[in-house]
Amino acid sequence: MKGLSLTLTALLSVWCLSTGLAQSSEEALKPITRTYALKNVTIVTKPGQTILNGTVVVKDGLILNAGQNVSIPADAKIIPADSMFVYAGFIDALSNAGIPKPEVRPATGGTGGGGQRPTGVNPGTPPNDLAGIQPELRARDLIKPADKSIEDLRKLGFTNAQVSPIGKMLPGSSALISLGGTAADNMILKDNFAMISQLVGAQGVYPNTIMAVMSKFRELYKQAEQAKAHEKMYAANPAGMVRPEVDRSLQAFYPVLDKQRPICFVAPDLKSVYRVLAMQQELNFPLILGGLLQAWTLADQLKAKNIPIILSLDLPKMEKKEPAKKDSTAAKDPEMERLEKRRADEMKLYETQAAVFAGKGINFGFSTLNAKTADIREALRRMVKAGLKEDQALAALTTTPAAMFGVAQSLGTVEKGKIANLVVSKKSYFDEKSQIRYVFVDGNLYEFEAEAPAAKPGTAGAGKGAAPSDLSKFIGKWSYSIDAGDQVYKGVISLIDEGGKLGGSWTGSDGQSKPLSNPSLKGSELTFSSSVNMGQDIPLDFNITFDGAKFSGKVKAGDFGVFPVEGSKEPRD
Amino acid sequence: MKIKFLSIFLLVFGGVTLFGQVAKPSKGTYALTNASIQTVTKGLVQGTLVIQDGKITALGASAAVPSGAQVIDCKGLTLYPGLIDGGTQLGLVEIEAVDVTNDDDEVGELTPQVEALTAVNPNATAIPVTRVNGVTTALVAPTGGRFPGTASLINLVGYTPNQMYAGFRGMVMNFPTLGRSGFFGPQRSEDELKKEQEKALTRLNEIWEGAKLYAKIDSAASKNAEIKVVYNPEMAALAPVIRGQMLLMIEVNRAEDIEGAIKWVESKKIKRVVFTGVAEGWRVADKLAKAKISVITGPIVALPTRSSDRYDKAYANAGLMHKAGVNLAIRTYDSENVRNLPFSAGFAAAYGLGKEQALKAITIIPAEIFGVADKLGSLEVGKNATLFASTGDALDTRNQIKYLFIDGWQVPLDSRHIQLYNEFLKRSPGLDK
Amino acid sequence: MKQFTIITCCLLLVLGLNAQITKGSLLIKNGTVLTVTKGTLEGSDVLIENGKITKIGKGLTAPAGTKTIDATGKYIMPGIIDAHSHIALDAINEGTNPVTAEVAVGDVIDPMDISVYRALAGGTTASHAMHGSANAIGGQCQTIKHRYGTLNPNDYPMEGAPRTIKFALGENPTRVHGIGRGIMPRTRMGVEFVIRKSFTEARNYDAAWKKYNAEKATKPTALPPKYDRRLEALADVLNGNILIHCHSYRADEILMLLNVCKDFGVKKVCFQHVNEGFKVAPELAAFGASASVFADWWAYKFEVYYSTAYNAAILTKNGVVTSINSDSGDYIRHLYHEAAKTQYYGGLTDDEALALITINPAKQLGVENRIGSLEVGKEGDVAIFEGHPLSVYGIPVFAIVDGIVRFDRANDPDDMRLDVDPIKATTNFQMATGRHDHDRCMQGVQELMEELFQLKN
Repeated sequence: MKGLSLTLTALLSVWCLSTGLAQSSEEALKPITRTYALKNVTIVTKPGQTILNGTVVVKDGLILNAGQNVSIPADAKIIPADSMFVYAGFIDALSNAGIPKPEVRPATGGTGGGGQRPTGVNPGTPPNDLAGIQPELRARDLIKPADKSIEDLRKLGFTNAQVSPIGKMLPGSSALISLGGTAADNMILKDNFAMISQLVGAQGVYPNTIMAVMSKFRELYKQAEQAKAHEKMYAANPAGMVRPEVDRSLQAFYPVLDKQRPICFVAPDLKSVYRVLAMQQELNFPLILGGLLQAWTLADQLKAKNIPIILSLDLPKMEKKEPAKKDSTAAKDPEMERLEKRRADEMKLYETQAAVFAGKGINFGFSTLNAKTADIREALRRMVKAGLKEDQALAALTTTPAAMFGVAQSLGTVEKGKIANLVVSKKSYFDEKSQIRYVFVDGNLYEFEAEAPAAKPGTAGAGKGAAPSDLSKFIGKWSYSIDAGDQVYKGVISLIDEGGKLGGSWTGSDGQSKPLSNPSLKGSELTFSSSVNMGQDIPLDFNITFDGAKFSGKVKAGDFGVFPVEGSKEPRD
Repeated sequence: MKIKFLSIFLLVFGGVTLFGQVAKPSKGTYALTNASIQTVTKGLVQGTLVIQDGKITALGASAAVPSGAQVIDCKGLTLYPGLIDGGTQLGLVEIEAVDVTNDDDEVGELTPQVEALTAVNPNATAIPVTRVNGVTTALVAPTGGRFPGTASLINLVGYTPNQMYAGFRGMVMNFPTLGRSGFFGPQRSEDELKKEQEKALTRLNEIWEGAKLYAKIDSAASKNAEIKVVYNPEMAALAPVIRGQMLLMIEVNRAEDIEGAIKWVESKKIKRVVFTGVAEGWRVADKLAKAKISVITGPIVALPTRSSDRYDKAYANAGLMHKAGVNLAIRTYDSENVRNLPFSAGFAAAYGLGKEQALKAITIIPAEIFGVADKLGSLEVGKNATLFASTGDALDTRNQIKYLFIDGWQVPLDSRHIQLYNEFLKRSPGLDK
Repeated sequence: MKQFTIITCCLLLVLGLNAQITKGSLLIKNGTVLTVTKGTLEGSDVLIENGKITKIGKGLTAPAGTKTIDATGKYIMPGIIDAHSHIALDAINEGTNPVTAEVAVGDVIDPMDISVYRALAGGTTASHAMHGSANAIGGQCQTIKHRYGTLNPNDYPMEGAPRTIKFALGENPTRVHGIGRGIMPRTRMGVEFVIRKSFTEARNYDAAWKKYNAEKATKPTALPPKYDRRLEALADVLNGNILIHCHSYRADEILMLLNVCKDFGVKKVCFQHVNEGFKVAPELAAFGASASVFADWWAYKFEVYYSTAYNAAILTKNGVVTSINSDSGDYIRHLYHEAAKTQYYGGLTDDEALALITINPAKQLGVENRIGSLEVGKEGDVAIFEGHPLSVYGIPVFAIVDGIVRFDRANDPDDMRLDVDPIKATTNFQMATGRHDHDRCMQGVQELMEELFQLKN
């Protein structure tokens, strides 16, 4: 089994390389200079410290100078940034950026096992990968530099991130990386920074519930202590002693046992925080709490324990609703008003968490884990609106995580000699109308277009009521991937012309090809139904919209929920 | 202690059960003397109640004991009309987890032509278990689908369904309800659920209009031999409901759905209708009262339907609806524990319905809703002798039932639960053999 | 208004990560005191100081400022104890293996479960939060006090209560593992073997540790056995440090476990549900095993078809310490009514019936010296009823835990949630109509859910 995961890792790295190569179809211009100058800008050198009408010069990946009356070298490219704001690049203190979601093992089997699991696996004694126990995995080995998530974060002003492997209770160790670059190794600023852990059970196998996860965690921890002691004794005097059993998962704990590496526990909700703290108290491991959403009542205790904190930017968000057709004559429903008030009060508590922590003088970073790219800046603005000072927010995005990761000498401020990781925005970053125009990562410039005013619906693409579709652009094989939260399901949809109507088949994660039932095409929107066997038959309803050689949409999987699906046309074979 | 216990035991089981002999119901002329008689409709009366030919023939202080009558001294006992459960799966479900013993839920959305009475097992173990608690009559209703079939009212004595049939059939309909979103993963959006509900409502209307058309053609055919009626058993089963000859029993629980059901009933101008379940009736009690739709509500001893609701809302629901002016009966909606009906009424009584009204909700009101108030639901001369004698308040666990009559048959107070008690209270052999 | 009080109250309570149990003082005046163990006292008072009952009698006075409840015309009884429930838990079944002795529901307490408040509203002040019955040997359980209002899960466990573990016999483990996955146990024979095998392994594990501890100082090459939490827990069962609470129904399987316990020297066992306990009441009594039963549940599955509502009465009359439990978020609210049914079915006396939901479950959980009756020195867990608790018309009006009023029928607002969804104002409509509510096309998933999350009875 261990051999297998090694091979898998090797395969993955090869794959990363090849995708990197394949991308360079339209070659970019070779760089002319690596020296840049931003003139007449407001430099927010660090939280609470601003230089007006300043100049920032970037050279060979570093900040050459930043301040007033700074001379500009002759080889500098002058960036049009007049009256813009310059910040140190933001650090996402906990993220999955650049890490692909693990694919589901294809085979299914068994009934009543609590989700799919490979045939022949005893759910009580699953292999470590199914159990979610892979602390030996490293983010470094998994990063895909070309992954869109890296670009997405960069667009928001993030230049660095602690990235974690994706998985269950022990997905692996994190790395602090630069959010720019073409080779994973070269993006690493701190390898093996923290052992990531979370109270997430495996699907259909042990440990399935949180209580089993907690038990297993404690057991592994103590077994690691035993194994480490055994190795040490054996190294000192092997004669007559049974040779230590080698287990890479237990070995991954050793730096934690030596207090050389913290465990970064993802604990969004209050109960998880309590549970993690209980285990920490029991086992006494160095701890970072990650992705906190609901811990405002615990601020004092966390401060007293001096635990590094990473707050979540995945704030709960109201669904945008059509303005209800309000009947102004209708009597107000007092029950509804009461419930709505409680809801709003609760929402306020989530929004105020960061201000509560900051108000108590607790330093924290921010995590984008699980947050939608489009919601992240709004989440920051909501926190600021709820009382978080802009300086405090900025500290959480720059200086605090820089210190947390031990890179304060090279990251976190706009100062001479630091790595040229910069965010340049029109207006203050926290202003609703502010737009990010440039981001520097390691001195490399990424330029973003001024955002166009939102397109009016119906002006682009084949809208509803368009002329009957030309089927030829849909016919063929399309690869799809369904993002079911913690796992991605992949397969192929084959579309054919069935007498002027679109039809065909698709392959589910059960490996079976099934016809599309009730396919219906309106404009470029296709709906169809099918089912997949995951121990039991689950009905699926697809609703996808094509856009050139890509499509995206949703699939409803019975009562399991609605998941995003996207795909692209496969080359003709 | 032992002596006291034994005496209670004798009180309960003496008289009817003879050891070593199978107790069977018997019929005759009975005079229940010195009794407190809870007539339900005419207050509490002291005196004698006479049973002849299955009917109550005399009642009160002046009632004479007919010659040859078996006299039962009911001093200290209160007579009650047999309790009526307005909604159960009694006799349809023997063991819940054993699918093959469940006959309440036929395949299909539209099966109004199937009848609960067909599948009632007269020898279901739960039937004697139920009746010894004073529940003499129960509506047995099919479940599942849109129109799962017709429910039947049965008396809990007899060896064939026909012997048990108590004179009422009603058409069960499940009103389209807002579905639930998934347990796992992201939930279905409310909009999606609403769309599904609307779709189901459209389908219901389609069925209803179809049934109307069928009933019209069928009526025409009865006058004109030229007109042929196609074989459509589903529509044929719905025709009596369309014509107002059969009660439509609409199962509906969520407040919004209850409002929807009221509107639907009004839009279809349905005259004979009752709502069943009605768990959130308290939320829309005024609207129910205004629509003058009777309700069979239950289970009473249940959880509130929403986590933000007051903890006792299920107990209080009946009382709140009654206060708003809703005419209501109580049901258990159970199969093996229909015997808890009096206690359900007791809870409703304690939490706002009041004892008098709670008793009516399991006697005369269901009898009226089912159109059998001329025979059941109260102790009155001319009505069926379906009654029992209790040591006190029949809704309270503190009292015991002493005698039981259904349709004039004196029914032995025996059931498997009691037999097991008799066998195992003092096991023989005990520890040593 | 009360809502804010609750929130402030929570803020005060969560000042520590570790439990910081708040205790109160309270004088309850002039009620009918049902002590359960020491008779009934008319027109009497109960004084609770700093969480403990300090006086019971007439005309008691309390220090100025002590909160007072006028119980004139009301009944004061010990807080009701439920020996079998699954409320306040975020996980119930680790149904992936036939033996999961290492998991503990104490790790997954949910202090925000509205069921706890609802239980209080039924006079129930403590319960035995249990692992589910999917496995022959399930997880460890937790005796909790219903300190609703705190957000700290560490405030819930009853400090110092003995450890307990869930075992399960019969249909549930054989269905989940045998029928569901083709893994032993598929039969009651297999269930016995699984338990015997686990006990034997635990005995060997324990012996290996003892051997290691004895020789480690002198033998440098000595190695400890590989740490195994499952066997650690089972060894604690064998050593009497963890009490067995065994889900069981049929007489034969009850006897089987008694025999296994005898063979492995296990002295204490409480049978849960134990619908056919009445058939082996003399054997249970002789062993000293106790029984925690339903008042009248039967026929919901085959192994409870030959049940009787007279079970509690027969067991009690045969000298078995018996309790009535809920196993349900609904029934835990009216255990007093369930106990009253034993008067209807079997004519138990008031004290016998009340013992079923107070002192007897306290004995089964090993906390009878602290709760379960109204006696000086015991903890201030009290339920106050309008009307006698054994009457169907009895209504709980106060529930008091450690001298603190946690339920006040007259003054609590309707909405007592601690767990408020920040996104949705309206809470989901949920109605437990049992089997009749099952969505046919999702039956597989329903069963799966039950199997993994809710398999209880």
